[in-house]
Amino acid sequence: MSTVNGLTARERLVGILRHRQIDRPPVICPGGMMNAAIVDVMNRTGHNLPEAHSDAVLMAELAGDVYQQTGFENLGIPFCLTVEAEVLGSTINIGDLACEPKIASEAFSSTAQVAFKDPDELLSAGRIHTVAAAAAILADRYPDVPVIGNVTGPISTTASIVDPMRFLKELAKDKANAHRAISYVTDFLCQYAQLLLDHGVTLITIGDPTATGEILGPRFFEEYAVRYLNRLIDTVHAAGGLIIVHICGNINSVKNFIPEIRSDAISTDAMVNLRSLKEEYPQLTTMGNLSTYLLQFGFPDKIATQAHRLVQDGIDIISPACGLSTSTPLENIRAMTEAVKECASDFAGGSASDTGNSMEWEVVR
Amino acid sequence: MPPKEQLLKELSDAVVGMDEDRTVATSQAVLENGIDAYEGISQGLADGMDRAGQLFEQEEYFIPELLMCSDAMYAGLDVLRPHLKTVADGEKRRFVIGVIEGDTHDIGKNLVKIMLETAGFEVIDLGRDVPAQEFVDRAKSVGADFIGISTLMTTTMDGIREVFSLLEREQIRDQFRIMVGGGPISQGFADRIGADGYAVNAAEAVRVARKLLGSD
Repeated sequence: MSTVNGLTARERLVGILRHRQIDRPPVICPGGMMNAAIVDVMNRTGHNLPEAHSDAVLMAELAGDVYQQTGFENLGIPFCLTVEAEVLGSTINIGDLACEPKIASEAFSSTAQVAFKDPDELLSAGRIHTVAAAAAILADRYPDVPVIGNVTGPISTTASIVDPMRFLKELAKDKANAHRAISYVTDFLCQYAQLLLDHGVTLITIGDPTATGEILGPRFFEEYAVRYLNRLIDTVHAAGGLIIVHICGNINSVKNFIPEIRSDAISTDAMVNLRSLKEEYPQLTTMGNLSTYLLQFGFPDKIATQAHRLVQDGIDIISPACGLSTSTPLENIRAMTEAVKECASDFAGGSASDTGNSMEWEVVR
Repeated sequence: MPPKEQLLKELSDAVVGMDEDRTVATSQAVLENGIDAYEGISQGLADGMDRAGQLFEQEEYFIPELLMCSDAMYAGLDVLRPHLKTVADGEKRRFVIGVIEGDTHDIGKNLVKIMLETAGFEVIDLGRDVPAQEFVDRAKSVGADFIGISTLMTTTMDGIREVFSLLEREQIRDQFRIMVGGGPISQGFADRIGADGYAVNAAEAVRVARKLLGSD
Protein backbone atom coordinates (compact mmCIF):
# COMPACT_ATOMS: atom_id res chain seq x y z
CA MET A 1 0.00 0.00 0.00
CA SER A 2 2.86 2.34 0.77
CA THR A 3 4.56 1.47 -2.51
CA VAL A 4 3.88 4.05 -5.19
CA ASN A 5 5.57 3.84 -8.57
CA GLY A 6 7.80 1.13 -7.20
CA LEU A 7 9.29 3.24 -4.44
CA THR A 8 8.28 2.91 -0.80
CA ALA A 9 7.85 6.09 1.22
CA ARG A 10 11.02 5.19 3.06
CA GLU A 11 13.02 4.65 -0.13
CA ARG A 12 11.80 7.93 -1.54
CA LEU A 13 12.77 10.06 1.48
CA VAL A 14 16.06 8.28 2.10
CA GLY A 15 16.70 8.43 -1.66
CA ILE A 16 16.38 12.20 -1.89
CA LEU A 17 18.56 12.66 1.21
CA ARG A 18 21.19 10.40 -0.38
CA HIS A 19 21.05 12.41 -3.64
CA ARG A 20 19.46 9.59 -5.65
CA GLN A 21 17.10 10.06 -8.56
CA ILE A 22 13.51 9.73 -7.41
CA ASP A 23 10.11 9.98 -9.08
CA ARG A 24 8.79 13.00 -7.17
CA PRO A 25 9.43 14.84 -3.90
CA PRO A 26 8.16 13.17 -0.75
CA VAL A 27 5.58 15.10 1.29
CA ILE A 28 6.30 14.84 4.99
CA CYS A 29 5.65 16.46 8.35
CA PRO A 30 8.59 15.46 10.54
CA GLY A 31 7.01 15.63 13.99
CA GLY A 32 8.38 17.33 17.10
CA MET A 33 7.91 21.05 16.72
CA MET A 34 6.42 20.38 13.27
CA ASN A 35 3.91 17.66 14.06
CA ALA A 36 0.51 16.98 12.53
CA ALA A 37 -1.23 15.58 15.62
CA ILE A 38 -4.22 17.81 14.95
CA VAL A 39 -7.49 17.71 16.87
CA ASP A 40 -9.31 16.43 13.75
CA VAL A 41 -7.15 13.28 13.75
CA MET A 42 -7.43 12.64 17.49
CA ASN A 43 -11.20 13.09 17.45
CA ARG A 44 -11.48 10.26 14.94
CA THR A 45 -9.32 7.75 16.78
CA GLY A 46 -9.39 8.57 20.48
CA HIS A 47 -5.61 8.28 20.72
CA ASN A 48 -5.26 11.59 22.44
CA LEU A 49 -2.85 14.18 23.65
CA PRO A 50 -1.69 14.99 26.26
CA GLU A 51 -1.70 11.29 27.26
CA ALA A 52 0.29 10.26 24.16
CA HIS A 53 3.18 12.51 25.23
CA SER A 54 4.02 10.12 28.07
CA ASP A 55 2.91 6.68 26.86
CA ALA A 56 4.99 4.85 24.25
CA VAL A 57 2.13 2.71 22.88
CA LEU A 58 -0.23 5.68 22.60
CA MET A 59 2.53 7.79 21.07
CA ALA A 60 3.10 5.14 18.41
CA GLU A 61 -0.67 4.76 17.82
CA LEU A 62 -1.11 8.52 17.38
CA ALA A 63 1.89 8.76 15.05
CA GLY A 64 0.33 5.92 13.01
CA ASP A 65 -3.05 7.70 12.96
CA VAL A 66 -1.41 10.90 11.72
CA TYR A 67 0.37 8.94 8.97
CA GLN A 68 -2.74 7.10 7.85
CA GLN A 69 -5.13 10.04 7.92
CA THR A 70 -3.08 12.97 6.70
CA GLY A 71 -1.24 11.31 3.83
CA PHE A 72 2.13 12.55 5.06
CA GLU A 73 4.73 9.99 4.01
CA ASN A 74 6.44 9.52 7.33
CA LEU A 75 5.90 8.72 10.98
CA GLY A 76 7.07 11.40 13.39
CA ILE A 77 7.65 11.42 17.13
CA PRO A 78 7.44 12.96 19.68
CA PHE A 79 4.78 15.69 19.46
CA CYS A 80 6.58 18.39 21.40
CA LEU A 81 9.86 20.20 22.04
CA THR A 82 10.05 19.55 25.77
CA VAL A 83 11.37 15.99 26.21
CA GLU A 84 14.98 17.17 26.39
CA ALA A 85 14.45 20.19 28.68
CA GLU A 86 12.41 18.09 31.08
CA VAL A 87 15.18 15.57 31.76
CA LEU A 88 17.68 18.44 32.02
CA GLY A 89 15.63 19.79 34.93
CA SER A 90 13.01 22.27 33.68
CA THR A 91 9.39 22.08 34.76
CA ILE A 92 6.95 21.19 31.99
CA ASN A 93 3.29 21.98 31.58
CA ILE A 94 2.14 18.95 29.57
CA GLY A 95 -0.67 20.88 27.85
CA ASP A 96 -3.95 19.37 26.69
CA LEU A 97 -5.63 17.97 23.57
CA ALA A 98 -5.24 21.19 21.58
CA CYS A 99 -2.33 22.86 23.30
CA GLU A 100 1.17 21.47 23.12
CA PRO A 101 3.49 21.05 26.13
CA LYS A 102 5.51 24.06 27.12
CA ILE A 103 8.21 25.07 29.57
CA ALA A 104 6.57 26.21 32.83
CA SER A 105 9.85 27.27 34.41
CA GLU A 106 13.46 26.97 33.36
CA ALA A 107 15.77 24.99 35.63
CA PHE A 108 18.54 27.58 35.88
CA SER A 109 18.71 31.36 36.04
CA SER A 110 22.05 31.61 34.24
CA THR A 111 24.37 29.46 32.15
CA ALA A 112 26.95 29.55 34.98
CA GLN A 113 24.48 27.72 37.20
CA VAL A 114 23.81 24.83 34.84
CA ALA A 115 24.61 21.73 36.88
CA PHE A 116 25.88 18.82 34.83
CA LYS A 117 24.12 15.51 35.29
CA ASP A 118 25.44 12.09 34.51
CA PRO A 119 24.65 11.25 30.84
CA ASP A 120 23.40 7.73 31.66
CA GLU A 121 21.07 9.15 34.27
CA LEU A 122 19.72 11.66 31.74
CA LEU A 123 19.10 8.96 29.15
CA SER A 124 17.07 6.87 31.56
CA ALA A 125 14.97 9.79 32.86
CA GLY A 126 11.69 11.44 31.89
CA ARG A 127 10.17 10.58 28.53
CA ILE A 128 13.42 9.67 26.74
CA HIS A 129 12.58 5.97 26.73
CA THR A 130 8.93 6.66 25.92
CA VAL A 131 10.05 8.19 22.63
CA ALA A 132 12.64 5.45 22.01
CA ALA A 133 10.09 2.70 22.68
CA ALA A 134 7.54 4.36 20.40
CA ALA A 135 10.22 4.50 17.69
CA ALA A 136 10.83 0.78 18.06
CA ILE A 137 7.11 -0.01 17.79
CA LEU A 138 6.73 2.14 14.67
CA ALA A 139 9.88 0.83 12.97
CA ASP A 140 8.58 -2.70 13.50
CA ARG A 141 5.01 -1.97 12.42
CA TYR A 142 5.78 0.18 9.36
CA PRO A 143 8.98 -1.13 7.74
CA ASP A 144 8.31 0.78 4.49
CA VAL A 145 7.64 4.16 6.08
CA PRO A 146 10.40 6.43 7.38
CA VAL A 147 10.27 6.96 11.14
CA ILE A 148 11.55 10.39 12.08
CA GLY A 149 12.98 11.01 15.54
CA ASN A 150 12.72 14.68 16.39
CA VAL A 151 15.32 16.27 18.61
CA THR A 152 15.22 19.84 19.88
CA GLY A 153 18.29 21.77 18.80
CA PRO A 154 21.17 22.80 21.09
CA ILE A 155 20.35 26.51 21.33
CA SER A 156 16.61 26.01 21.92
CA THR A 157 17.21 23.27 24.48
CA THR A 158 19.68 25.43 26.40
CA ALA A 159 17.25 28.37 26.20
CA SER A 160 14.63 26.02 27.68
CA ILE A 161 16.73 25.18 30.74
CA VAL A 162 18.24 28.65 31.33
CA ASP A 163 16.13 31.81 31.61
CA PRO A 164 16.03 32.74 27.89
CA MET A 165 16.61 36.49 28.30
CA ARG A 166 19.64 35.87 30.46
CA PHE A 167 20.82 33.14 28.13
CA LEU A 168 20.71 35.41 25.06
CA LYS A 169 22.70 38.10 26.86
CA GLU A 170 25.25 35.60 28.06
CA LEU A 171 25.95 34.52 24.48
CA ALA A 172 27.77 37.87 24.34
CA LYS A 173 28.54 38.63 27.98
CA ASP A 174 29.63 35.30 29.40
CA LYS A 175 30.82 33.29 26.47
CA ALA A 176 32.76 30.79 28.56
CA ASN A 177 29.69 29.67 30.50
CA ALA A 178 27.42 29.92 27.45
CA HIS A 179 29.69 27.55 25.53
CA ARG A 180 30.03 25.28 28.56
CA ALA A 181 26.24 24.97 28.96
CA ILE A 182 25.48 24.54 25.25
CA SER A 183 28.28 22.02 24.89
CA TYR A 184 26.89 19.95 27.76
CA VAL A 185 23.40 20.11 26.26
CA THR A 186 24.70 19.20 22.80
CA ASP A 187 26.55 16.14 24.12
CA PHE A 188 23.32 14.97 25.72
CA LEU A 189 21.38 15.60 22.48
CA CYS A 190 24.01 13.57 20.56
CA GLN A 191 23.44 10.62 22.88
CA TYR A 192 19.67 10.99 22.67
CA ALA A 193 19.81 11.05 18.86
CA GLN A 194 22.04 7.98 18.95
CA LEU A 195 19.55 6.21 21.23
CA LEU A 196 16.70 6.98 18.82
CA LEU A 197 18.73 5.66 15.87
CA ASP A 198 19.45 2.51 17.91
CA HIS A 199 15.69 2.11 18.38
CA GLY A 200 15.03 2.13 14.67
CA VAL A 201 14.32 5.69 13.57
CA THR A 202 15.18 6.21 9.90
CA LEU A 203 16.44 9.72 10.42
CA ILE A 204 16.66 12.61 12.85
CA THR A 205 15.11 16.05 12.38
CA ILE A 206 16.33 19.00 14.43
CA GLY A 207 14.00 21.90 15.20
CA ASP A 208 15.85 24.77 16.82
CA PRO A 209 13.42 27.69 16.95
CA THR A 210 15.65 29.87 19.13
CA ALA A 211 18.61 29.46 16.75
CA THR A 212 17.33 31.85 14.11
CA GLY A 213 19.00 34.65 12.24
CA GLU A 214 16.33 37.02 13.47
CA ILE A 215 17.04 36.29 17.13
CA LEU A 216 20.78 35.67 17.14
CA GLY A 217 22.08 37.69 14.20
CA PRO A 218 24.94 36.43 12.03
CA ARG A 219 27.69 36.69 14.66
CA PHE A 220 26.08 34.48 17.26
CA PHE A 221 24.42 32.23 14.70
CA GLU A 222 27.87 31.30 13.43
CA GLU A 223 29.54 31.12 16.83
CA TYR A 224 26.85 29.03 18.52
CA ALA A 225 24.14 27.67 16.23
CA VAL A 226 26.28 26.45 13.31
CA ARG A 227 28.98 25.06 15.60
CA TYR A 228 26.74 23.00 17.88
CA LEU A 229 24.28 21.95 15.16
CA ASN A 230 27.26 20.57 13.26
CA ARG A 231 28.48 18.65 16.30
CA LEU A 232 25.08 16.98 16.50
CA ILE A 233 24.96 16.43 12.73
CA ASP A 234 28.44 14.88 12.67
CA THR A 235 27.48 12.51 15.48
CA VAL A 236 24.40 11.33 13.58
CA HIS A 237 26.44 10.93 10.39
CA ALA A 238 29.14 9.00 12.24
CA ALA A 239 26.43 6.60 13.36
CA GLY A 240 25.39 6.16 9.71
CA GLY A 241 22.18 8.15 10.21
CA LEU A 242 20.54 10.92 8.19
CA ILE A 243 19.56 14.30 9.57
CA ILE A 244 17.41 17.27 8.55
CA VAL A 245 17.68 20.72 10.17
CA HIS A 246 14.77 23.15 10.29
CA ILE A 247 15.60 26.85 10.61
CA CYS A 248 12.75 29.07 11.79
CA GLY A 249 12.05 32.60 10.64
CA ASN A 250 13.71 34.80 8.07
CA ILE A 251 17.21 33.58 7.21
CA ASN A 252 18.37 36.70 5.33
CA SER A 253 20.94 37.82 7.88
CA VAL A 254 22.49 34.34 8.15
CA LYS A 255 21.98 32.99 4.63
CA ASN A 256 25.70 32.62 3.89
CA PHE A 257 26.06 30.27 6.87
CA ILE A 258 23.31 27.90 5.71
CA PRO A 259 25.62 25.88 3.40
CA GLU A 260 27.99 25.44 6.35
CA ILE A 261 25.34 23.40 8.16
CA ARG A 262 26.25 19.86 7.21
CA SER A 263 22.78 18.30 7.47
CA ASP A 264 21.32 16.19 4.64
CA ALA A 265 18.53 18.72 4.08
CA ILE A 266 17.62 22.23 5.23
CA SER A 267 14.01 23.08 5.99
CA THR A 268 12.87 26.69 6.20
CA ASP A 269 9.96 28.87 7.22
CA ALA A 270 7.29 30.23 4.87
CA MET A 271 8.87 33.64 4.19
CA VAL A 272 12.01 32.08 2.70
CA ASN A 273 12.04 31.71 -1.07
CA LEU A 274 13.37 28.17 -1.33
CA ARG A 275 13.64 28.33 -5.08
CA SER A 276 16.10 31.24 -4.93
CA LEU A 277 17.94 29.63 -2.01
CA LYS A 278 18.41 26.56 -4.21
CA GLU A 279 19.50 28.69 -7.14
CA GLU A 280 22.09 30.38 -4.95
CA TYR A 281 23.30 27.18 -3.29
CA PRO A 282 22.56 24.30 -5.71
CA GLN A 283 24.27 21.82 -3.38
CA LEU A 284 21.50 22.21 -0.78
CA THR A 285 18.71 19.67 -0.42
CA THR A 286 15.75 21.89 0.43
CA MET A 287 12.63 21.14 2.42
CA GLY A 288 9.54 23.22 2.98
CA ASN A 289 7.63 25.38 3.13
CA LEU A 290 3.89 25.50 2.76
CA SER A 291 2.48 28.27 4.93
CA THR A 292 0.97 26.90 8.13
CA TYR A 293 -1.31 29.92 8.16
CA LEU A 294 -2.65 28.88 4.77
CA LEU A 295 -3.01 25.31 6.01
CA GLN A 296 -5.07 26.49 8.96
CA PHE A 297 -7.23 29.14 7.35
CA GLY A 298 -6.96 28.58 3.61
CA PHE A 299 -9.14 26.63 1.18
CA PRO A 300 -8.09 23.20 -0.13
CA ASP A 301 -7.78 24.32 -3.77
CA LYS A 302 -5.44 27.17 -2.84
CA ILE A 303 -3.40 24.80 -0.69
CA ALA A 304 -3.12 22.31 -3.55
CA THR A 305 -1.97 25.10 -5.88
CA GLN A 306 0.73 26.12 -3.43
CA ALA A 307 1.87 22.52 -3.00
CA HIS A 308 2.09 22.17 -6.78
CA ARG A 309 4.10 25.36 -6.97
CA LEU A 310 6.63 24.01 -4.47
CA VAL A 311 7.05 20.85 -6.55
CA GLN A 312 7.35 22.96 -9.69
CA ASP A 313 10.01 25.10 -8.03
CA GLY A 314 12.12 21.99 -7.58
CA ILE A 315 11.89 21.86 -3.78
CA ASP A 316 13.27 18.45 -2.81
CA ILE A 317 10.97 17.60 0.11
CA ILE A 318 7.55 19.20 0.55
CA SER A 319 6.46 19.92 4.10
CA PRO A 320 4.65 22.51 6.21
CA ALA A 321 6.76 25.63 6.80
CA CYS A 322 6.67 25.46 10.57
CA GLY A 323 4.60 24.13 13.49
CA LEU A 324 1.01 23.35 12.53
CA SER A 325 -1.89 24.67 14.55
CA THR A 326 -3.76 21.80 16.21
CA SER A 327 -6.96 23.26 14.78
CA THR A 328 -5.77 22.86 11.17
CA PRO A 329 -8.52 21.02 9.24
CA LEU A 330 -7.62 17.50 8.12
CA GLU A 331 -9.16 18.26 4.72
CA ASN A 332 -6.56 21.00 4.18
CA ILE A 333 -3.65 18.73 5.02
CA ARG A 334 -5.00 16.07 2.67
CA ALA A 335 -5.24 18.68 -0.08
CA MET A 336 -1.53 19.31 0.39
CA THR A 337 -0.38 15.68 0.48
CA GLU A 338 -2.61 14.59 -2.40
CA ALA A 339 -1.43 17.48 -4.57
CA VAL A 340 2.19 16.42 -4.17
CA LYS A 341 1.42 12.75 -4.82
CA GLU A 342 -0.41 13.66 -8.02
CA CYS A 343 2.76 15.12 -9.50
CA ALA A 344 3.99 13.02 -12.40
CA SER A 345 7.19 11.07 -12.47
CA ASP A 346 8.93 13.45 -14.85
CA PHE A 347 9.96 15.47 -11.83
CA ALA A 348 13.74 15.50 -12.21
CA GLY A 349 14.44 15.76 -8.52
CA GLY A 350 17.50 14.83 -6.55
CA SER A 351 19.69 17.80 -5.79
CA ALA A 352 22.88 16.25 -7.18
CA SER A 353 21.23 15.42 -10.48
CA ASP A 354 19.18 18.56 -10.93
CA THR A 355 19.38 19.39 -14.61
CA GLY A 356 17.55 22.65 -14.31
CA ASN A 357 14.76 21.19 -16.42
CA SER A 358 12.72 19.99 -13.48
CA MET A 359 10.11 22.65 -14.08
CA GLU A 360 8.04 20.37 -16.28
CA TRP A 361 5.42 18.34 -14.52
CA GLU A 362 1.97 17.06 -15.16
CA VAL A 363 -0.94 16.27 -12.99
CA VAL A 364 -2.01 12.63 -13.15
CA ARG A 365 -5.72 12.26 -12.59
CA MET B 1 31.10 70.83 22.86
CA PRO B 2 29.80 72.10 26.23
CA PRO B 3 30.16 69.56 29.06
CA LYS B 4 26.40 69.02 29.39
CA GLU B 5 25.80 68.00 25.79
CA GLN B 6 29.02 66.06 25.84
CA LEU B 7 28.02 64.11 28.95
CA LEU B 8 24.58 63.35 27.61
CA LYS B 9 26.13 62.16 24.35
CA GLU B 10 28.55 59.99 26.31
CA LEU B 11 25.65 58.54 28.26
CA SER B 12 23.78 57.73 25.07
CA ASP B 13 26.96 56.22 23.58
CA ALA B 14 27.50 54.05 26.68
CA VAL B 15 23.99 52.58 26.25
CA VAL B 16 24.46 51.96 22.52
CA GLY B 17 27.89 50.52 23.31
CA MET B 18 26.25 47.97 25.67
CA ASP B 19 28.58 49.17 28.43
CA GLU B 20 26.80 48.87 31.76
CA ASP B 21 29.72 50.10 33.90
CA ARG B 22 30.30 53.14 31.73
CA THR B 23 26.58 53.94 31.75
CA VAL B 24 26.54 53.89 35.56
CA ALA B 25 29.70 56.00 35.82
CA THR B 26 28.43 58.53 33.26
CA SER B 27 25.04 58.70 34.99
CA GLN B 28 26.87 59.58 38.21
CA ALA B 29 28.91 62.20 36.34
CA VAL B 30 25.66 63.66 35.00
CA LEU B 31 24.42 64.16 38.57
CA GLU B 32 27.78 65.47 39.82
CA ASN B 33 27.73 68.10 37.09
CA GLY B 34 24.35 69.33 38.24
CA ILE B 35 22.51 68.15 35.15
CA ASP B 36 18.84 67.45 35.67
CA ALA B 37 18.17 63.71 36.09
CA TYR B 38 15.22 63.95 33.71
CA GLU B 39 17.47 65.27 30.95
CA GLY B 40 19.94 62.51 31.70
CA ILE B 41 17.20 59.95 31.21
CA SER B 42 15.49 61.45 28.19
CA GLN B 43 18.49 62.82 26.27
CA GLY B 44 21.05 60.27 27.46
CA LEU B 45 19.63 56.86 28.33
CA ALA B 46 16.47 56.94 26.22
CA ASP B 47 18.36 58.45 23.30
CA GLY B 48 20.84 55.57 23.50
CA MET B 49 18.00 53.04 23.54
CA ASP B 50 16.41 54.82 20.58
CA ARG B 51 19.63 54.48 18.61
CA ALA B 52 19.92 50.83 19.69
CA GLY B 53 16.37 50.30 18.38
CA GLN B 54 17.37 51.85 15.05
CA LEU B 55 20.41 49.56 14.80
CA PHE B 56 18.09 46.64 15.57
CA GLU B 57 15.77 47.63 12.75
CA GLN B 58 18.75 48.00 10.40
CA GLU B 59 19.88 44.47 11.38
CA GLU B 60 23.15 45.81 12.80
CA TYR B 61 22.02 44.72 16.26
CA PHE B 62 20.08 41.56 17.11
CA ILE B 63 18.33 40.46 20.27
CA PRO B 64 21.44 39.77 22.42
CA GLU B 65 22.82 43.25 21.63
CA LEU B 66 19.49 44.96 22.26
CA LEU B 67 19.16 43.17 25.61
CA MET B 68 22.62 44.29 26.66
CA CYS B 69 21.81 47.89 25.74
CA SER B 70 18.68 47.63 27.86
CA ASP B 71 20.68 46.28 30.81
CA ALA B 72 22.95 49.31 30.55
CA MET B 73 19.95 51.61 30.26
CA TYR B 74 18.24 50.14 33.35
CA ALA B 75 21.51 50.36 35.34
CA GLY B 76 21.69 54.06 34.45
CA LEU B 77 18.03 54.50 35.37
CA ASP B 78 18.75 53.08 38.83
CA VAL B 79 21.28 55.89 39.33
CA LEU B 80 19.22 58.73 37.89
CA ARG B 81 15.64 57.89 38.88
CA PRO B 82 16.01 58.64 42.63
CA HIS B 83 17.03 62.18 41.64
CA LEU B 84 13.99 62.96 39.54
CA LYS B 85 12.37 66.06 41.01
CA THR B 86 8.73 65.16 40.66
CA VAL B 87 7.58 62.00 39.02
CA ALA B 88 4.67 62.78 36.80
CA ASP B 89 3.30 59.27 37.15
CA GLY B 90 -0.26 60.47 36.73
CA GLU B 91 0.68 61.50 33.21
CA LYS B 92 2.03 58.13 32.24
CA ARG B 93 0.05 55.99 29.89
CA ARG B 94 -0.57 52.51 31.21
CA PHE B 95 0.18 49.58 28.98
CA VAL B 96 -0.90 46.08 30.02
CA ILE B 97 1.16 43.55 28.12
CA GLY B 98 1.49 39.77 27.99
CA VAL B 99 1.91 36.61 25.94
CA ILE B 100 -1.41 34.84 25.34
CA GLU B 101 -2.23 31.50 26.96
CA GLY B 102 -0.64 28.49 25.36
CA ASP B 103 2.62 30.22 24.56
CA THR B 104 5.65 30.71 26.75
CA HIS B 105 7.83 32.53 24.22
CA ASP B 106 8.26 35.97 25.72
CA ILE B 107 11.45 37.40 24.28
CA GLY B 108 9.58 39.63 21.84
CA LYS B 109 7.13 40.77 24.48
CA ASN B 110 10.01 41.63 26.82
CA LEU B 111 11.65 43.72 24.11
CA VAL B 112 8.42 45.63 23.54
CA LYS B 113 8.18 46.23 27.29
CA ILE B 114 11.72 47.62 27.40
CA MET B 115 11.15 49.96 24.47
CA LEU B 116 7.80 51.16 25.86
CA GLU B 117 9.30 51.84 29.31
CA THR B 118 12.14 53.72 27.68
CA ALA B 119 9.59 55.80 25.82
CA GLY B 120 7.84 56.72 29.09
CA PHE B 121 4.96 54.27 29.24
CA GLU B 122 4.09 52.54 32.50
CA VAL B 123 4.10 48.87 31.59
CA ILE B 124 2.17 46.28 33.56
CA ASP B 125 3.68 42.97 32.54
CA LEU B 126 1.37 39.97 32.90
CA GLY B 127 4.13 37.60 31.79
CA ARG B 128 3.66 34.60 29.54
CA ASP B 129 0.95 31.96 29.07
CA VAL B 130 -1.70 34.50 30.17
CA PRO B 131 -5.43 33.56 29.87
CA ALA B 132 -7.60 35.95 27.84
CA GLN B 133 -9.72 36.77 30.90
CA GLU B 134 -6.66 37.95 32.80
CA PHE B 135 -5.85 40.55 30.13
CA VAL B 136 -9.36 41.91 30.56
CA ASP B 137 -9.35 41.81 34.37
CA ARG B 138 -5.97 43.48 34.75
CA ALA B 139 -6.63 46.10 32.10
CA LYS B 140 -9.81 47.05 34.00
CA SER B 141 -8.23 47.03 37.44
CA VAL B 142 -5.23 49.19 36.56
CA GLY B 143 -7.20 51.49 34.24
CA ALA B 144 -5.02 50.65 31.28
CA ASP B 145 -4.85 52.83 28.19
CA PHE B 146 -3.38 50.04 26.10
CA ILE B 147 -3.51 46.27 25.94
CA GLY B 148 -0.66 44.54 24.12
CA ILE B 149 -1.01 40.87 23.24
CA SER B 150 1.65 38.78 21.63
CA THR B 151 2.19 35.22 20.50
CA LEU B 152 4.85 33.34 18.59
CA MET B 153 2.66 30.38 17.81
CA THR B 154 -0.12 29.98 15.29
CA THR B 155 -1.73 27.59 17.78
CA THR B 156 -2.61 30.42 20.15
CA MET B 157 -3.94 33.04 17.77
CA ASP B 158 -7.52 32.16 18.70
CA GLY B 159 -6.79 33.21 22.28
CA ILE B 160 -6.08 36.71 21.00
CA ARG B 161 -9.51 36.84 19.38
CA GLU B 162 -10.99 35.78 22.71
CA VAL B 163 -9.65 38.91 24.45
CA PHE B 164 -11.60 40.97 21.93
CA SER B 165 -14.82 38.96 22.42
CA LEU B 166 -14.56 39.21 26.21
CA LEU B 167 -14.13 42.99 26.01
CA GLU B 168 -17.03 43.26 23.60
CA ARG B 169 -19.22 41.10 25.80
CA GLU B 170 -18.58 43.50 28.67
CA GLN B 171 -19.05 46.42 26.27
CA ILE B 172 -15.72 47.93 27.26
CA ARG B 173 -13.79 47.37 24.03
CA ASP B 174 -13.68 51.12 23.35
CA GLN B 175 -11.90 51.85 26.62
CA PHE B 176 -8.66 50.35 25.42
CA ARG B 177 -6.37 50.62 22.45
CA ILE B 178 -5.29 47.10 21.61
CA MET B 179 -2.01 46.27 19.92
CA VAL B 180 -0.99 42.80 18.72
CA GLY B 181 2.27 41.35 17.54
CA GLY B 182 4.49 38.31 17.31
CA GLY B 183 5.83 35.90 14.70
CA PRO B 184 2.63 34.60 13.05
CA ILE B 185 0.71 37.88 13.44
CA SER B 186 0.39 40.15 10.42
CA GLN B 187 -1.22 43.50 9.73
CA GLY B 188 -3.93 41.54 7.94
CA PHE B 189 -4.68 39.42 11.00
CA ALA B 190 -4.65 42.53 13.21
CA ASP B 191 -7.16 44.21 10.91
CA ARG B 192 -9.41 41.15 10.75
CA ILE B 193 -9.70 40.83 14.51
CA GLY B 194 -10.21 44.57 14.92
CA ALA B 195 -6.95 45.50 16.67
CA ASP B 196 -6.04 49.17 16.83
CA GLY B 197 -2.42 48.56 16.03
CA TYR B 198 0.12 46.02 14.85
CA ALA B 199 3.88 46.31 15.10
CA VAL B 200 6.43 44.15 13.39
CA ASN B 201 9.06 44.74 16.10
CA ALA B 202 9.69 46.45 19.43
CA ALA B 203 10.90 49.76 18.03
CA GLU B 204 7.88 49.92 15.75
CA ALA B 205 5.58 49.18 18.71
CA VAL B 206 6.55 52.48 20.35
CA ARG B 207 5.83 54.43 17.18
CA VAL B 208 2.47 52.71 16.76
CA ALA B 209 1.52 53.39 20.39
CA ARG B 210 2.45 57.06 20.06
CA LYS B 211 0.52 57.33 16.82
CA LEU B 212 -2.55 55.83 18.47
CA LEU B 213 -2.27 58.40 21.25
CA GLY B 214 -2.03 61.17 18.68
CA SER B 215 -5.23 60.02 17.04
CA ASP B 216 -7.31 60.72 20.16
